[in-house]
Amino acid sequence: MPTLTIDGTEYEVAEGRMILQAIDDLGLLMSGVDIPHYCWHPKLSIDGSCRMCQVEVEGMPKLQIACNTLVTDGMVVRTDVERVKKAQRGVMELLLINHPLDCPICDQAGECTLQDYAFDYGMPGARTEEPRRPAKKAMDLGPTIVFDQERCILCRRCVRFCREIPKTGELGVFARGDHSLLELFPGTELDNPYSMNVADICPVGALTTKDFRFKIRVWFLDDVESICNQCSNGCNIYASRSNNRIYRYLPRRNDSVNDTWICDHGRLSYQLIMENRLTEPRVSRRGTSYADAVRAAGDAVRAARESGGSIVGVASPFVGNEDLFVLKQLLEAVGAPAATFAVPRGESDELLVKTEKAPNASGARALGFEESDASPGAVAVALVLGHTLAEECLKGVETLILLDTENCSLAERADIVLPARSFAEKEGSFTNHAKRVQRFRPILEPTFEALSEGEILQRIGAAAGLTGWTASYDVHEVSKRLSETVAGFDGINLDSLDDQGCELA
Amino acid sequence: MSPETQRKIEALFPRYPEKRGALLPAIYLVQAEKGYVGPQDARALAELFGLEPVDVWEVLTFYNMFYTSAQGRHHVYVCTNLPCSLRGARTLLKELESHLGIRCGQTTPDGRVTLAHEECLGSCGTAPVMRVDGEYVENLDLSEAKRVVDSLE
Amino acid sequence: MITQPYITNYLSEHYADDAYRELSGYEARGGFEGLRKAVQMEPADLVELVKSSGLRGRGGAGFSTGLKWSFMPSGNDRPKLFVCNADESEPGSFKDRLIMERGPHQMLEGILIGAWAVGASKTYIYIRGEYKVPTRRVEQAVKELYERGYLGQKILGKKGFDHDIVVHSGAGAYICGEETGLLESLEGKKGQPRKKPPFPAQYGAFGLPTTVNNVETFAHVPFIVARGLDWFLAIGTEKSPGTTLFGVSGQVERPGLFELPLGTPLGEIIDHAGGVRGGRALKGVIPGGMSMPILLPEDLDVRMAEEFLSERGTHLGTGGIMVMDETTCMVRVAAVTSYFFRDESCGQCTQCREGTGWIHKICERVEAGRGSPADLELLDDLPGLMEGQTICAFADAAAWPIQGLLRHFRADFEAHIAAQRCPFPESFEL
Repeated sequence: MPTLTIDGTEYEVAEGRMILQAIDDLGLLMSGVDIPHYCWHPKLSIDGSCRMCQVEVEGMPKLQIACNTLVTDGMVVRTDVERVKKAQRGVMELLLINHPLDCPICDQAGECTLQDYAFDYGMPGARTEEPRRPAKKAMDLGPTIVFDQERCILCRRCVRFCREIPKTGELGVFARGDHSLLELFPGTELDNPYSMNVADICPVGALTTKDFRFKIRVWFLDDVESICNQCSNGCNIYASRSNNRIYRYLPRRNDSVNDTWICDHGRLSYQLIMENRLTEPRVSRRGTSYADAVRAAGDAVRAARESGGSIVGVASPFVGNEDLFVLKQLLEAVGAPAATFAVPRGESDELLVKTEKAPNASGARALGFEESDASPGAVAVALVLGHTLAEECLKGVETLILLDTENCSLAERADIVLPARSFAEKEGSFTNHAKRVQRFRPILEPTFEALSEGEILQRIGAAAGLTGWTASYDVHEVSKRLSETVAGFDGINLDSLDDQGCELA
Repeated sequence: MSPETQRKIEALFPRYPEKRGALLPAIYLVQAEKGYVGPQDARALAELFGLEPVDVWEVLTFYNMFYTSAQGRHHVYVCTNLPCSLRGARTLLKELESHLGIRCGQTTPDGRVTLAHEECLGSCGTAPVMRVDGEYVENLDLSEAKRVVDSLE
Repeated sequence: MITQPYITNYLSEHYADDAYRELSGYEARGGFEGLRKAVQMEPADLVELVKSSGLRGRGGAGFSTGLKWSFMPSGNDRPKLFVCNADESEPGSFKDRLIMERGPHQMLEGILIGAWAVGASKTYIYIRGEYKVPTRRVEQAVKELYERGYLGQKILGKKGFDHDIVVHSGAGAYICGEETGLLESLEGKKGQPRKKPPFPAQYGAFGLPTTVNNVETFAHVPFIVARGLDWFLAIGTEKSPGTTLFGVSGQVERPGLFELPLGTPLGEIIDHAGGVRGGRALKGVIPGGMSMPILLPEDLDVRMAEEFLSERGTHLGTGGIMVMDETTCMVRVAAVTSYFFRDESCGQCTQCREGTGWIHKICERVEAGRGSPADLELLDDLPGLMEGQTICAFADAAAWPIQGLLRHFRADFEAHIAAQRCPFPESFEL
């Protein structure tokens, strides 16, 4: 492996990489090795035009752009020399002569690379007195994106994105020189299933999403690592939250899963979390306390066991591996057959969107549940997670215990109803279509009484008097037991998983 | 785009290892039909070349000799680069402006003449020069320039 | 329309003769002797010959033609291309136009010799779109070559010597004279220069190995092959052999072209052009097209070859000499120059896109009498932010003339700032 020395520190890097790529591979770009850049993006073709990443390379008379300079073994690079700093100041000054000084009213403020680099690499004041180039403001580009043409620094990341990722090619840079403008083809819209990614990759406040703009200043947000639950791809996300509310999802980079992208549907699915929530524990269709509902469920399980009545479980591809594991254990403890689960399906594409419209169908399979939408027939007790199985399949159930997040019609029919936490309110892991186990973390505090499915089942088991079952629940403990018990999960548990997840053996 | 033009464009494809090479010549052919290449024409070209319309539009707007909107029936372009300016081209352009009653970059209200300036035309030894409907008129003086412009129907 | 240079030499000897434009007339005056000799040689020896001739590219950069040819990969696993750069757009340059109008077969013969040397199977001649007459003449000449078997298969009966020529029109963009901007444009794209590496000899037009040479460069090649090294090396200077078509424009009595050996003193060329117009004094002279820094009257002794011009802080460029007399306002020159570069920047690199615009705005403001001493500091500083930092040399070309004007004519700028108006009432109008 070639070695590359940057500012006196030696790095071993992969063969055949450009300087910027090589440093990015090591995870050090802008966090350890600072080579500022605008047009370069790890998942797009190299443009080489912003000239911000110029560095000094020993043996080369001119400064070189780090994004397009192939690392050769023993290459010595400097970023801490005056001529590099001068070049960076130059690019910053020239980018700013036509950029509006409207940070106070710009929604990008706080996460704007132009703003950040201006502080880190720019000069303290402006030397221009020419009027800034006027252009279009708050231009509607389509259903999702608003464009401020004056703020655009023409890095063309969005242009390359549309051409190279969704391959829809809506955006272009028209004319030339300092009258170049980012535009749509006349009479068209930016409207593709991945359109909102352009706002993420826009380094400035030129492209913003209609969904998020002006909702909140970003410095009031904190970002929680999570997983999108809209399909089995399991795109990695940050959920930006403030005051117990999610304001947006941003794609979180995972080169094995979603690179740096997310589909628009998934991105906006944070809006669904609080929609039509099941908030009230019920027994026999009447509201009651959570403890009463758990007790009633325990009693039903106990009664069925004592009378020899059959107990079945219906799993869900929407709950975490840990929830499913507790269900598996409970069913084993009562001598019930393995649960089945049903998966809603829909359209897929070649990029990220998968057919299975649930985040954890693979996890259910890995835990030994079988996919089936057949009716369990006439049974005494059914422990049902979610409502993926058609209601009529459960007609023959004497006592239907439902654990769900959503106030669905099955909840009207169920005998015992226990509100569950959504994935945003609990901790756990999903296993994606490629058998990658990925961790999600609690983003929100539930605003009503609700527990995770795992914890509800744990309490039901305890209430039913199962041997060795107590009501105490620790998802990390459950995860540990899962990894010790279930084949393929060896060594994979919530404490061992990093932010990139891990594939099942 | 007429079928005739389309045939001419398709005949250009074999000249290039990739058919996109024929895009500039193709734009000229489409432009010859009605004087400019509008969004609908760009779409048709994109389809013919297997490109996105935006690719064609980028090319159209990059080059000075392509027009995306209607121009006057006649094009009068005066070179105002240094060698011509040193020999009075800008004075001449100003006088043509007042002669035609329009500003540089505009078209006469009757749609007869579009007057504009242009960068170096490679005629510095015979400056000043203007390009009238594609043909060079060299060693200009004001009376000659006016005579040429007035002769345009 | 110019039919021949005021002073002719081997290139332009027959330009006045209409018959020379035609293949038969060209052959009757020695045409295609070079190619006949060339195909008797091993291609590698031919490359070596052109290398030894010291022929330097006449398109502006002055790079060794033979060396450029030697960069082409050997072997025939991929088709190899030649591109003839006929996008002559450098202000002050009008020589390639004359070659194409009056001696198109010289260029075509040079192309064929080069094709034999590097094994190129096809040449694209990229002619600027405004050059209608030259395009027609070249197309006609190419047609004749096909008819007479100089193009197509088995040229001159030589097995394996196949070559095609396609004439391609540009569409009005100075940047397409930059070799990779040209290649992009040839591919049907915006003429935005490519980042290098890869270089054209590895990855050129349509991804194929490509060599780009200028019209005049090609035109010299047949003479070198036909008449031999000794003959060629005796013309011009040691480092810059041969003649070139110097173009003289601006405020002289007799603007036009002059075919003279490289190394001819600048003052002598201006004298050939009848000297400064109206008996006025010379104020400044740009020696090699607009991109090159300006020289002063005391530089008239400089010999017009790169090795001497670079000692004076400027370059030979395309040999386009622009003469400015004593009435000239050099701030206006700066305004015209900076407008041109602003207008023609392709717009991809930050420094060039934004820098050219800013410099132009400052120059215009100073010219209009609204400048301040701080503007001069900016004009001193901005070219340094652009030079040597972009994908292609356009930003350098935009920076150098401004640096040159400030170096030699700072007083003109200061006078505008002091008077808050242009103090040169007799200057050319802006």
